[in-house]
Amino acid sequence: MTTSAAIPAPHHVTAQEMQAARAIAPHLVDTPLAVHARRLALWIGLSAVFVALCIGVDMTPAAFAKGLSKLADFMGGMFPPNAAGGEIRILQALAATFAMAVAGTFLGVLGAIPLGLLGAKTFVSNPVLHFLIRRSFDVFRAIPALVWALILIVAFGLGPFGGVIALALTDIPRIAKLYAEAIENSDPRPQEGIRATGGQRRAAIRFGLLPEVLPVMASQSLYMLESNFRNAAILGIVGAGGIGFELEERIRIFAFDQVAWIVIAYVLCVMALDYVSENIRSKLVHG
Amino acid sequence: MQQQDALKSEIIREFEAQRRVTLLRQRTQQIVVLIGFSALIAVCFHVSGFFSGSQGSDPWGRIANLLNIMIPDLKPEALFEDRGTAGSLSSWFYDMPTWLALLWETVQIAIVATLFGIFGGFWASLLASKNLSPSPYIYWLTRRTLEVIRTLPDLIVALILVAAFGVGPLPGVIAIALGTMASLGKLYSEANEAADMRPVEAVKAVGGSWWAQVRFGILPQVLPHYASYGLLRLEINVGGAAALGVVGAGGIGIELSRAITYTEFDTYFALLILIIGLIILIDLVSEAIRHRLIGLEATA
Repeated sequence: MTTSAAIPAPHHVTAQEMQAARAIAPHLVDTPLAVHARRLALWIGLSAVFVALCIGVDMTPAAFAKGLSKLADFMGGMFPPNAAGGEIRILQALAATFAMAVAGTFLGVLGAIPLGLLGAKTFVSNPVLHFLIRRSFDVFRAIPALVWALILIVAFGLGPFGGVIALALTDIPRIAKLYAEAIENSDPRPQEGIRATGGQRRAAIRFGLLPEVLPVMASQSLYMLESNFRNAAILGIVGAGGIGFELEERIRIFAFDQVAWIVIAYVLCVMALDYVSENIRSKLVHG
Repeated sequence: MQQQDALKSEIIREFEAQRRVTLLRQRTQQIVVLIGFSALIAVCFHVSGFFSGSQGSDPWGRIANLLNIMIPDLKPEALFEDRGTAGSLSSWFYDMPTWLALLWETVQIAIVATLFGIFGGFWASLLASKNLSPSPYIYWLTRRTLEVIRTLPDLIVALILVAAFGVGPLPGVIAIALGTMASLGKLYSEANEAADMRPVEAVKAVGGSWWAQVRFGILPQVLPHYASYGLLRLEINVGGAAALGVVGAGGIGIELSRAITYTEFDTYFALLILIIGLIILIDLVSEAIRHRLIGLEATA
């Protein structure tokens, strides 16, 4: 293949050659003025919109600089990270957050199985109905867990219970969409084979569909668990307990060395969970 | 003959014995996994207070009660009356101008944060793709940094930034832009690594600089991917920005938490409807743009 040694020195185009090229194909050598003007106008217009948007959200250099010096103070306060004797409490909170994530994912999976079937083209073949069901998954998928948690905490009181339900509600449309896609992408031939040999519809699902989609579904559920561990961490902000609550408490009192300790412990836990879950997932999918 | 039969039955017996052992081993393995899994689930439910009595004994009744207080008392005959009339639509959506302004702020936060995220993600992806990175150390360092940022939820970052920048949309923009940068940086670097390297070699061969190699060798190939990932991220960010206000980082979320503080649950429901409407709108717009981009790519 090509090696750098084989590449000859670049050839420099002389003015004469340029002249000759201009005579043959002027539109390729010089961009017409109109195109230049149009491009310039487009860029100016887009930049103006961008600047207006930035001002709309206070993204001005002055505001930025003001906060940045404070942020630098905070960052300075983060070292050295220090748990201030709260190690056990923080680790317990991390465990509670993990428990919330597992419970929320489990409920989400339970809720998503029937919805996933409903969303699969192979089960609901009416195109209008299929479109409506899948679109509703898309819409509810975009609502953050925090928005559910805010109101559920009111209904169920402070504590992780409302958080678990909020996680499940956030997950159901997400998992349902993944399941529906897994079911749609499955090979129909094993099911047809079972039906052809006289098997019932139930037998076709049990022996034709499940062996193919179950590993995929399990892998996607694990993936949701990873994402839920992140989501569960923020629910503490609105009163669901766990690591989010510990963090918020310490940010409120500007104890940034403790914040740093918690963040480091949290990041390590997330990475450990991701690592374990990735290993299990690749085992599930590749056998 | 008899000998052969004896041999056959011997082989069959051996096979069945082996099969029994394999089956037994499989069953035991399945049971152990099942018990372990159930124990994990049970412990997790227990820790998260699922069975504890503090939630009250009647969960279904509580959910019904919640739905009941969320549904506004609309009166069919007064539906289109003005704000002052109880039971009209405009008394339900009583602060519509403020809410629309906050929804617009939410969209602005999402757009600005996505743009900054795309910009940052692009530069990070150049450092984090194997075929373009100037050195393996920078490659490794960028990848790990992006990973760490990705593990931090936007709202936790926003919480810290609100303490530094004060209440307002700016900390929200920075928090979402950081998250967007980290996730797009990863996706973009994958797109870069999948790109055909021959155009890059061609630009290099005629003496093009590193930037010329990227600009004319890589960008034309990956730009459609960049744009479609960026638009997908914009959709996600609108949802994310809707929650930011809860921690004081701008957008409609501030009204959500106000509605909860003043126990206006029907207002919460109204805001939820507005957020869902906004998400549908952004979905449609972004889908239209993406289809146009794909069309452009097909005709080009």
